[in-house]
Amino acid sequence: MKSLHEDDRSAMRESLSRFLIAEADEATLRRGIDFSQGYDPKLWRQICEMGLTGIAAAEVFGGAGGGAKDVEMVCSQLGRALNPMPFLDSCVIGTGLLTACSSNTHLKHIIENVVSGESIVAIGGNAPFVPLQDSRHNLTIHADHTISGTVSLVLNAATADFILIGITVDDQIKVFIVPTHANVVCTAQQANDPLLRPCAVCFENAAAIELNALTETDLEQARLRGVAALAAWQAGAARALFEITIEYLKTRYQFGRPIGSFQALKHMAADLFLEVESATSAALAAAEAIDEEKLEVARTVALAGFVCTDVFREVAAQAIQLHGGIAYTQEHIAHLYWRRSRAMLPMLGGADKHREDYLKALETAA
Amino acid sequence: MTTITQESTNQALQNAVNDWLDVHWDTANRRPINATEYDERSWLKQVLDAGYCVPSWPKKWFGLGLTMQQSVLIERTFQARKAPGTGRDRYHLGAITLSKMGNTELKREMLPELLTGPICCLLYSEPNAGSDLAGVRTRAELDGDSFVINGQKVWTSDAVSADYGMLLARTDWDVPKHQGLTFFLFPMKQPGVEIRPINQITGESKFNEVFITDARVPRRFVIGDLNEGWRSFQTAIAYERLIMGQGITERKRGAANEGVHPLIALAERTGHLDEPIFRQRIAQAIAYREVNKLNNERAKEEMQSSGGISLMSLSKLAMSRIQHGEAAIATDLLGAEAILDGDSALDSANANFDAAKAYMNSIGGGTDQIQRNIIAEKVLQLPRELDASKGVSFRDMKSNSSAS
Repeated sequence: MKSLHEDDRSAMRESLSRFLIAEADEATLRRGIDFSQGYDPKLWRQICEMGLTGIAAAEVFGGAGGGAKDVEMVCSQLGRALNPMPFLDSCVIGTGLLTACSSNTHLKHIIENVVSGESIVAIGGNAPFVPLQDSRHNLTIHADHTISGTVSLVLNAATADFILIGITVDDQIKVFIVPTHANVVCTAQQANDPLLRPCAVCFENAAAIELNALTETDLEQARLRGVAALAAWQAGAARALFEITIEYLKTRYQFGRPIGSFQALKHMAADLFLEVESATSAALAAAEAIDEEKLEVARTVALAGFVCTDVFREVAAQAIQLHGGIAYTQEHIAHLYWRRSRAMLPMLGGADKHREDYLKALETAA
Repeated sequence: MTTITQESTNQALQNAVNDWLDVHWDTANRRPINATEYDERSWLKQVLDAGYCVPSWPKKWFGLGLTMQQSVLIERTFQARKAPGTGRDRYHLGAITLSKMGNTELKREMLPELLTGPICCLLYSEPNAGSDLAGVRTRAELDGDSFVINGQKVWTSDAVSADYGMLLARTDWDVPKHQGLTFFLFPMKQPGVEIRPINQITGESKFNEVFITDARVPRRFVIGDLNEGWRSFQTAIAYERLIMGQGITERKRGAANEGVHPLIALAERTGHLDEPIFRQRIAQAIAYREVNKLNNERAKEEMQSSGGISLMSLSKLAMSRIQHGEAAIATDLLGAEAILDGDSALDSANANFDAAKAYMNSIGGGTDQIQRNIIAEKVLQLPRELDASKGVSFRDMKSNSSAS
């Protein structure tokens, strides 16, 4: 798939960055805690108006026709702002799977609405493309194309319009889209991160449309694009928190001097800088490999998958240590980055799985 | 001959270089055409006169006014014909430093000499001035038209073959340490220069100690200004660190560049390839190397688009964890066998060598700890640490000999 022209992407990055600085600052982020979505829905509407929900969808579906590099751009900016909107689930993975089945006429309106952002897709199950996999789900599909059972850890299910279910049935991955308006009950699960909204979703003979046109390639593409988007988000978040921390080291005085003048902290900062740049490099390389359909795409995406997950975790952990007591409070923003970095550890398989995938890809290539 | 400029296409550039080589270089016999043997100085003179020695330098300074990428392309074209002598705008630290910091007369006199001779050696570190390099105690005293040099230098590679060394010496003892240094182009082939090889931890002997007793250097061989040596030195060391981040200290092994990765191959030979812990460690080690390559690519783009060096500064530090890490995994894969060495235990010998050689990157050219200071201060703009020697004249500074 193609991506947008470099200049267009730069312009979008500029305006998205300006928008997020003005409209999605720390105060706005914290207000999200009181919304059932975890964010002010006004913010989502603004993102829709900017055309970002359709960035990864082709023009025929009303999208912008962007590629992985464009998703990288959006996600790294959203990550910077620690933004909890369901972009990864609805606009990257969900949109990717739905548009791959566009020949199914039942999906036409759903696709249009998801691309425009009017509808939101939440994702659950145990398929590899599911961000938070629930291996203990007990979902069953009935002969009349309805679904019953419970699946947990579905982010934003309570406020979503559709739930995309990916499960293994007889060693085969089956994918369904289920409207949430009938026979679906969502129960909020308490999350450690106050901005995340995981739900246990209970279906009782809920009507489901099977996305039976999906090929193995489609499923793998959705997973790869999801991993790359998540990596970009993590790289952006890690960089933002790193910058906050460096600023603090320059302005916090102890012993009559800025604490950033002490080598013990300087050396930690230098090491973290290497990590932050490595995450950005890996995320960019993954996006490029997808857009250019490189032979080593699986390897490069796996690399970004574990590098960015580990880097975000490390930067968030060390940022608190570098700040000291001030970051051991909820008034300081560091804990929100730290909680998110931890919530993202298991997403799309987690770092150790990506590391194993990376080595396998190297073995296969040789 | 067609004139090549920055606007020339790569193809035109390669054609021009190949045309020149057709007339001047006998690839089959690896010597200049019409010569009976390869004489380095006379060949380098021809390369210099053609501008291919330092293509990215201005025309009035022996170059062709081309870009650095074009210079790299010229070097590749030379390499394909097995012809030496180009790319000295990137590798010849002495000539690079002289061209950046030297005055016009010295450059005119000495650049052709340096560029047609062996690489300059580096006379920086001393037994008591390592990380705190500005504390060098080698003394340079003016006597008529020349300086008399006395002192001891260490970690000097190519000391025996070099005609010249880049010397950092103290010319004023009554000012703070950075302010009394001068940078010299020092003639190595003279009485009063004694070279003793060092037996390194790897078993190699590439470094030397250089003892200098009443040796002389002409007054006009000062690079930059008198007592401004620290500035000239900064230019020289920045280039050295840049080269190290590309992994130049590593031993190239045939298998490293093609086919299965050496660590995967070793894991297979030692029967550990299916063990999850080793698999995770090996994947991580290979990943560090791949990510460093990606960082270096972005660093080059950064340099070309904005002249920034923030990414460039990271690769030497990254290389340390790569090299130490890979050697540690290889050692662990070998287990008890790793205590062996020599030709009948090559895997072990390699692991032991690599484990030792990794320090070449993490200590040489400035330790990792110094490099972290540089990243933190120069790139992240964190404040400098209080310097106990600030404002104190060098003569009154605490040193190892006065600290007891």
